[in-house]
Amino acid sequence: MDYAIEAEGLRRTYRSRTGWLRPRTTEVHAVRGVDLTVGRGELFGLLGPNGAGKTTTIKMLNTLLIPSAGTARICGFDVVKQTREVRRRIGYVFGGDRGLYERLTALDNLRYFAELYGVPARDQKRRIAELLELVKLTGRENERVEGYSRGMRQRLHIARGLLHEPEVIFLDEPSIGVDPVAARDLRATVANLAATGTTVLLTTHYMAEADELCDRIAVISEGEIQALGTPAELRHRADGRRVLEIEAYGVPTDALEDLQKLPGVREAAVEERGQVQVVTVQSDADADVQADVLRRLNGVRIGRVTSREPTLEDAYVAIIAAASRVAA
Amino acid sequence: MRLLGLGSVIAYRALFNWTTPIVFVGSLLIGPLFQLIFFAYVGRELAVGDDRFYIVGNAVLSVAWTCVFGGTMAIGNERRFGTLGHVLLSPRSRTLIFLGRATPYAANGLLVAAVILTVGALLLGLHIPASAIPLLALCLAVSAVACAFFGLTLGALGLRFRDIWVISNVTTALMVLLTGVNVPFDQLPWFLRAIGAALPVTHAAAAARDAAGGAGLTGIAPNLLTEAGIGVAYAVLAAVLLRIFEAESRRRASLDTL
Repeated sequence: MDYAIEAEGLRRTYRSRTGWLRPRTTEVHAVRGVDLTVGRGELFGLLGPNGAGKTTTIKMLNTLLIPSAGTARICGFDVVKQTREVRRRIGYVFGGDRGLYERLTALDNLRYFAELYGVPARDQKRRIAELLELVKLTGRENERVEGYSRGMRQRLHIARGLLHEPEVIFLDEPSIGVDPVAARDLRATVANLAATGTTVLLTTHYMAEADELCDRIAVISEGEIQALGTPAELRHRADGRRVLEIEAYGVPTDALEDLQKLPGVREAAVEERGQVQVVTVQSDADADVQADVLRRLNGVRIGRVTSREPTLEDAYVAIIAAASRVAA
Repeated sequence: MRLLGLGSVIAYRALFNWTTPIVFVGSLLIGPLFQLIFFAYVGRELAVGDDRFYIVGNAVLSVAWTCVFGGTMAIGNERRFGTLGHVLLSPRSRTLIFLGRATPYAANGLLVAAVILTVGALLLGLHIPASAIPLLALCLAVSAVACAFFGLTLGALGLRFRDIWVISNVTTALMVLLTGVNVPFDQLPWFLRAIGAALPVTHAAAAARDAAGGAGLTGIAPNLLTEAGIGVAYAVLAAVLLRIFEAESRRRASLDTL
């Protein structure tokens, strides 16, 4: 098969030195042997918690970092030895406010990067106009980027990444910090890219986004791919489970450990959502753990309690938790 | 050629911090002009050198403010804006991308030096013969290009070291002392003369003084060619450093720009 992205045994170790008189070298194994292939035109998701190795993997694939070991090819070109060929074929978009020239207008940002990315002069005007239309910035292109909202910046990032019509585009958390309406527009843009044949490698923290967009998903944790499959296949990882969700206020730090020891409980996690904490307990489908869980949370102020079928996010939590236990 | 021309001008507007009128006038015109006047009066009091020595010398030195800081900003500010990674992902030649950026700073430096020389001469009553103006302009232009490449060399260090502005500040302060603009070059200790001889401005200032004093092209050629050679050497050094530090950044992940 003709792959757009191929990685074999990709590893990356960061070494840092601290101290002058007694220098100490520390090593962090950010990526510990990633194998993956992404077909042409596929929309592939790379999911994982912060520090899992997602961005490091992308930086090795897009030539910004040399792997400590292993090999990777983009459209058949080696990312270490054939960087120029690779760079001609890739676009890179990352989330956040930075990465654009603040004092320039959106139009000048795009004009400059069109030069850098080798867009022929005769095509630049048309291509920039098309992209401004695609990311809905037409009419705002002559405003300085410093006055743009985060959503507008994100859309401009995407336009910049697509200037040279790359065969492969890396989207590193493009919807981070973007409001729901802008995020929906971004998802539509990404889906449209894949529909027109561009290979997309997307990293995100938002399960719904991955579920909606991706053909296949790899869950990465501790620098290794822990699970790989279609969203439906990954959801099956949580088959045979029930999920209990409890809104609570003031859950003590050791409560999760207690909950995980309860019979029938597979995973327990707590998430801060503004003022409220949401305790999520995954259990065997045939075990009724609600009474035991509430008993263990005795003294904690409890809000709404719901029981539901597991989602992709629950499968993700289960995979990450299992990986963390193995690493520990 | 478009990357060299249009690209470099856009990069200049994007990365040069001193393009707003108030900062441009304050930092690039008023500051160097007061420095020129200060040293001219000190020179008169101490009888170290005449007005031509200080006015022409400081006018040549004024190109350094734009070019040294501008060259540093041309690369260092990429880090600040988080755009360096995107620039390094370009498949195009690094020499074209980065060395091309010297042109707008050199033009800016030339403009500043011309203004400083004109205003300084008018304020302090220095007569410069009209016949000397083309050669003076040539000296300023060569110095501006050499300084811009010197600035890019310092900027290239920004790919490896985070606090590059310290180096630019120290360097420009040293240029006030070591280029023979304010302290006669032959009165410096030998080791400072050795450093000064390798800096841009030193030889252009000497050539410009000779030109203002009526020397012809033949008379100023040795100094002017030396200044041009220094500029070429810094251009080569900047290109080599950019290549080394970019390769190192891929190996050691030394760019935390993304």
